[in-house]
Amino acid sequence: MNSPLPLTRRQFLQHSAVTTAVVAAPLILPSGLRGQNAPSKKITVGIVGCGNIADGHYGPLLGSPESIRVVAVCDVDRVRRDSAAARVNKEYGNADCKTYGDFRELNRRTDIDVVFICTPDHWHALIAIDAMRNGKDVYVEKPLTLTIAEGRALVDTARKYNRVAQHGTQHRSMKRFHDVAEFVRNNGLGKLERIDCFIPPNNRHCGATWQPEPVPANLDWEMWLGPAPWRPYNSKGCHYNFRFISESAYGQVTNWGAHYLDIGQWALGMDDSGPVSVEGHGEFPSSGLFTNCTNVNFTVRYANGVPMHCRTRFEGGGTARFVGERGWLDIARDKMSASDNNLLREMQAPNKKVQLELSNNHHDNFFACVRSRQRPIADVGLGHRTTTVCNLGQIGMVLGRKLQWDPVNEAFVNDDVANRLRTRAMRSPWSLA
Amino acid sequence: MNVENPPAAPATKPKKVVSANPADRYSNAGNTPDPWDECARLEYGADRSFAWSVREQVIATPPEGRERVEEKLLNALAASGRTDAGLAFICQMLAMVASAKSVPALTPLLRADKTADSARYTLERIAGPEADTAFRDALGALTGTAKAGLIGSIGVRGDKAATSALTALKDASAEPAIVREAATRALERISLSKA
Repeated sequence: MNSPLPLTRRQFLQHSAVTTAVVAAPLILPSGLRGQNAPSKKITVGIVGCGNIADGHYGPLLGSPESIRVVAVCDVDRVRRDSAAARVNKEYGNADCKTYGDFRELNRRTDIDVVFICTPDHWHALIAIDAMRNGKDVYVEKPLTLTIAEGRALVDTARKYNRVAQHGTQHRSMKRFHDVAEFVRNNGLGKLERIDCFIPPNNRHCGATWQPEPVPANLDWEMWLGPAPWRPYNSKGCHYNFRFISESAYGQVTNWGAHYLDIGQWALGMDDSGPVSVEGHGEFPSSGLFTNCTNVNFTVRYANGVPMHCRTRFEGGGTARFVGERGWLDIARDKMSASDNNLLREMQAPNKKVQLELSNNHHDNFFACVRSRQRPIADVGLGHRTTTVCNLGQIGMVLGRKLQWDPVNEAFVNDDVANRLRTRAMRSPWSLA
Repeated sequence: MNVENPPAAPATKPKKVVSANPADRYSNAGNTPDPWDECARLEYGADRSFAWSVREQVIATPPEGRERVEEKLLNALAASGRTDAGLAFICQMLAMVASAKSVPALTPLLRADKTADSARYTLERIAGPEADTAFRDALGALTGTAKAGLIGSIGVRGDKAATSALTALKDASAEPAIVREAATRALERISLSKA
């Protein structure tokens, strides 16, 4: 699978004489495609990280045994990886699924085509880069990376090694979000005035102090920490809750922001760019194990003057509201509403001037692209841009001052401290080199 | 006007009595700890509000005050009783503001396996030849994973002057695989970096 990736899938569709046929049947392949990329070949999958995020992948992966085969799972927690392997083996009725405690062993298997990366955020970049260097295509859970520098390195690696790399922002494959983004792109709301994103609350209460605990026998804590700064084990600071600790993640800013800010980016046509400023005033806990913002409040502003706000909503889930001169649209996973129902009807009108690529299934889209070598609906290039917006919000709130951002050079303008926060040194032996 | 029943004077607040002793004007609870001292003694899991106070000051300091903040952090770095958590915290704060002025204080830390990671948190962010030299000079002092991490930092910084040393490490059979692989990656990264 070393074919070049000269076009994004969107570009491919725009330039193809058989656009309609390709949209209707995404598994139809370019005529020259043969051999290992043929639809008859089963795509072999390894999963790195077997926690709750991976749970959402087993159904789609195990539900297509004729075309996809999960052959290996990896986790630094033996209980989790054994449980994952048992689940896979039970589904296939055999004992073939291999288990690993070190992702590098899985990535070096030559019989694996694709790696799903479902670990804590601080590991995403390193595991994805290593997988792509070893010839794998990757599906990277959101947020794409922990830092802006990691995101750039990941995208550069995908391009250098011509790998198909999907960001796990499945809103891009939900028609509701597609329709809203496309409607806004076609000025369906008239002149867009602002976007309001709301994300769920961040930290669970953990107290002002915590005690180091013995590392469970089933857990490789050193490998769990990986590139993150060392700290003693505490059960509240490991599985799931890592997202509330800034050494591992930026809380809901990146967890849910990766979804809703992403739709804002899509609707604004900013998939290859980003905002030009950020200003934030978050509230951070001054003590305790959890360090991420408890009350998120930041605004990024684009070159066309449109602001995108992101705030914590303490009750209810995530939403995005698009406000224009003709009214507003609210969009969430389970509902959509508008200031005027005519807007919802107009949204379904055909033949819009700007037509965004439509994917109805994030996994299907990814595997179709693994075979076709096109870029997927949530290619890591745009995933990096969205994750950058999340990072801008985080850095803006940490510094508490207005920052100018240059999306071309991916650097803050005249702010050395902010620029230093685009990256961080990694714990030995890990690095982005 | 009835002089026998003059209107009541408006109520006035009692005058605040100010002690003649200047010490009384602050706190009667004794001396409070200085966060810049306390942050060096931070322990994992303990109350980190002193460290938080330092962090807030580091972040809020305007560019013209960063040299002073850097100096205070370097003083904390040299404090007696400094803990591992305190060292990591100070280096993470220095990572935001440190200049070449911090390199001499960090160099001994960089050359010890146990403290090299913390030193790298700061040094990797300091632009300029002083930090590059410190990284290159530490190649002979570190071993194993710490050395691999050091090499990674050199690669990330794109230090072309390290090319010959890294080439030797890449091919050194006496070095563990993790060091040789790190050298290979760093050389690749350096070759791609701008002049």
